[in-house]
Amino acid sequence: MNSFLALLPLLIIFSASLLVLILEVFVKKENKNYLAYISLLSLAACGFICVMFWNKAYSYFSGNLLLDNLSLFLIFLLALATGFVILLSMKYISLQDTNYGEFYALLLLAFSGVIIMVSSSDILVIFLGLEVLSISSYALAALRRKDEKSSEAAIKYFLLGSFATAFLIYGLALLWGSTLSTNISSIIQYFESEASLSLMALIGLGLVTIGFGFKIALVPFHMWTPDVYQGAPTPVTAFFSVIPKAAGFTILLRIFYPYWKVALDSQAIFWLLWILSVLTMVVGNLLALRQTNLKRILAYSSIAHAGYLLVAILAQDASSLVFYLTVYLFMNIGAFAAVIALSKKDKEYLELEDYAGIGFKYPWIGATFSIFLLSLAGLPPTGGFLAKFFVFSAAVKQDLVPLVIIGVLASLISVFYYLRIIVYMYMREPSREVEIHMENPALFLVLFLCLYGVFQLGLFPRNVLILIEQAVRSLPFL
Amino acid sequence: MNFPILSFLIFFPLAGAFLFIFIHRDKHNLLRFLALGIALITFIFSLSLYFNFNAQTPDPQFVEKAAWIGYGIQYHVGIDGISLFLVILTTFLMPIVLLSSWTHIQKRIKEYLIFMLLLETGIIGVFVSLNLFLFYVFWEAMLIPMYFLIGIWGGKRRIYATFKFVLFTMLGSLLMLVAIFFLYSMYYKATGTYSFNLFDYHNLILNPNIQIWLFLAFALAFAIKVPMFPFHTWLPDAHVEAPTAVSVILAAVLLKMGAYGFLRFAIPLFPNAVMKFLPYLAVLCLIGIIYGGLMALIQKDIKSLVAYSSVSHMGLIMLAVFALNFEAVEGAIYQMINHGLSTGALFLIVGILYERSHTRLIKDYGGVSKQMPVFSAFFLICLLSSVGLPGLNGFVGEVLCLFGVFKANKLLAILGVSTVILAAGYLLWMFQRVMQGPIKNEKILSFKDINKRELCYLLPIVIMIFWMGIYPKPFLRKMDTSVSHLLDRVNKKTVYFTEAQKDNDLPLIIEEELIQEKNDEKEEKPI
Repeated sequence: MNSFLALLPLLIIFSASLLVLILEVFVKKENKNYLAYISLLSLAACGFICVMFWNKAYSYFSGNLLLDNLSLFLIFLLALATGFVILLSMKYISLQDTNYGEFYALLLLAFSGVIIMVSSSDILVIFLGLEVLSISSYALAALRRKDEKSSEAAIKYFLLGSFATAFLIYGLALLWGSTLSTNISSIIQYFESEASLSLMALIGLGLVTIGFGFKIALVPFHMWTPDVYQGAPTPVTAFFSVIPKAAGFTILLRIFYPYWKVALDSQAIFWLLWILSVLTMVVGNLLALRQTNLKRILAYSSIAHAGYLLVAILAQDASSLVFYLTVYLFMNIGAFAAVIALSKKDKEYLELEDYAGIGFKYPWIGATFSIFLLSLAGLPPTGGFLAKFFVFSAAVKQDLVPLVIIGVLASLISVFYYLRIIVYMYMREPSREVEIHMENPALFLVLFLCLYGVFQLGLFPRNVLILIEQAVRSLPFL
Repeated sequence: MNFPILSFLIFFPLAGAFLFIFIHRDKHNLLRFLALGIALITFIFSLSLYFNFNAQTPDPQFVEKAAWIGYGIQYHVGIDGISLFLVILTTFLMPIVLLSSWTHIQKRIKEYLIFMLLLETGIIGVFVSLNLFLFYVFWEAMLIPMYFLIGIWGGKRRIYATFKFVLFTMLGSLLMLVAIFFLYSMYYKATGTYSFNLFDYHNLILNPNIQIWLFLAFALAFAIKVPMFPFHTWLPDAHVEAPTAVSVILAAVLLKMGAYGFLRFAIPLFPNAVMKFLPYLAVLCLIGIIYGGLMALIQKDIKSLVAYSSVSHMGLIMLAVFALNFEAVEGAIYQMINHGLSTGALFLIVGILYERSHTRLIKDYGGVSKQMPVFSAFFLICLLSSVGLPGLNGFVGEVLCLFGVFKANKLLAILGVSTVILAAGYLLWMFQRVMQGPIKNEKILSFKDINKRELCYLLPIVIMIFWMGIYPKPFLRKMDTSVSHLLDRVNKKTVYFTEAQKDNDLPLIIEEELIQEKNDEKEEKPI
């Protein structure tokens, strides 16, 4: 249904972002938390709208912005994630000298880019959203102005991001040249015809895939990830590890889900993705083994998870992909929350050595962090297990058995480094003095909400699965 | 029966563990008594399984089935004659090991007890699950408490040992997971419905070539768990480093999961592949028997001696499982319980010695029996039970196993007997060096004989050792129907497979109608 209402989520978030930016000038430094409350409020409103619009399928701009169930589900999910990130950063930015009002404004702006990305069906519009997201992200990475690492992260992110954009644009140009359209469904329809066997469109599609491959950090386009994750303020890292990734995979899903069904010859792209997926799973996990910095470990782990998600794309199974993204949100943000918890004024504890004995010293943080790590490793009864379970079982159903075997073996490698963190927390005697700032109710709220999410999705995911089934039904060919 | 007894057994310890979160960590005695109470209540309830068990039917009993996640994932539990005693063995040993670690574990008692109770939940869950998803969840989830128990309360090389244990087990089980997916998608392709139900998979006819791969994946997971040679290397490390109570559970119950997995899953699901691999598997078992025994002979550490004896004994049990005849399989199950009792008891005994002297090296001991006469008697009984002395439980099991193996293959049986000879060798020699002779170490002079608490937990085991040795009938008769049903399946199905596969390259068809026809034609009794 064509309706102006389709713009509502975008407008709310965008105007909240501007409001925060203006108010920042007038609000005293000790009252900066109000900016966070405003941001949270706008996200809540956005989430509420998603619930109200369920099954309504409003669209605007002649269908270029379409709030189908899939986009509503993802907007809701990512609004939740952004909310978590804001809760995590409320204390963090004052403790770590990042106390700038533009922090929230940029987060909201980035999120509005995500809304455009997930709700659009036109690649050019998607590109627009991607740029909004990216440029805000570059600024977010640089927010710790006095920290060299933070600036390095921003520069790296910016350069490689632009590089990726170039790939994307070039691919788009080739696709437009052969299909005369930027709309995903007409591009896909083109692949039904004999003409699609020409090389141009294929290269175009491949380049677009690579462009998104940068954004979602597939190996070998992952080089920026560890440095950016390490340099950016930790809540921002949590944001990077979840939200752009989820948005990127949504686009890939929208492109490839119909593509597999209609394309005359999908072999080339299939094998491209197959190889990317294997490389991402194996290399991501192997490189994580050697890291000693928690943020870098989590960076490589998030690379590896992109590999598993790509398996879901290859398995042509939309619901397992969305379910994986949902679980990934909770367990990854939860893990980052635990990392953020281990900090005090102007000091973050990020080395593995710092974690020695933490499990018994701070039992709640240790226990919840362990559960998130076990979930990331894919051990039952957590959500991480069920997510991998659905993805791999869908892949076996599509006769991708070798891919699945590589995938489970890669996740065996991952068990090693996740458990190593637990070893430090519980099985080593503390070797360094670690004092942390405990008065952080917002952070503990996130920690427990994520814990709840991980178990709810691991033990009783029925309702969420039903919602996801409804959401993916809005994809063509289901 | 209306009371959901199996769910109670699974979730009562879990609920107990949850309760522990709210108890202050310094109230040590409260925590200990509470944990013991929970374990005892679980045990008492599990006894009702035995009394209400109907030995006449091979179908699973005390079945509970509930919708859960969808996509064929159900909560589906039940037990038959094969799993009945393994469940009771678990609940029987849990209070015993909690008593045994009463003073041994001094630090972080709260966490220790929580993990022990979680472990009990996981183990019982594995033995009663009839849905492959549920089974896998318990199978893997159980690793988590084990990982912590060995890693936090273990010895010097505990981190190495616990990593090795977890990674080895997961390597096998992840490949098994892929095989489970494969079965799942096969079933979906054949019927259009999702199912993880074990009994639904019994209706599948799989192409023998596919079966081979699936069987290998399952067999690897279970062979690592048993452990069969050459996948046994994690076991001595884990045993030596683990605290006493965990060693007991590991030897007595966890290793049985491997054998149980073969009986419950690998063999009935892939009978053709089993037939194909039988010779190789038997040779591996045989190597395990002899290799484990020889390794045990040369160990300097008592605990690793007992660990290697486990490799040897489990080799015999697996050999009997693969003999696939009535006596052998029944003997194997019986011997699983025996091994749980006697090896568990030996680990407890090593723990008692260790608590007094803080060493496990054989050369540090000598003449202990002079100081600890009562203990010495208990030690000897458990040891002889492990050797297989007539009149004690080990004899019954070993004789049944060896009879069965003999029926299947004489050479294997002749070589398999070496397990008894070797066991007599390494165990008695160890006993001689530790308990008899002159007292070389002055520390031993200060040893006190076992106290009431230690008596409390050794006595039930010794009673069971005698009872099962003298009057095994109440145990064996409960298994009869289930075992013969299992063997029926394996033997009969082979016929169908070969017939059905002749002109059928499709991965599978549903055989229910086929079975019905065949039954009507050839046999009177329903499957």
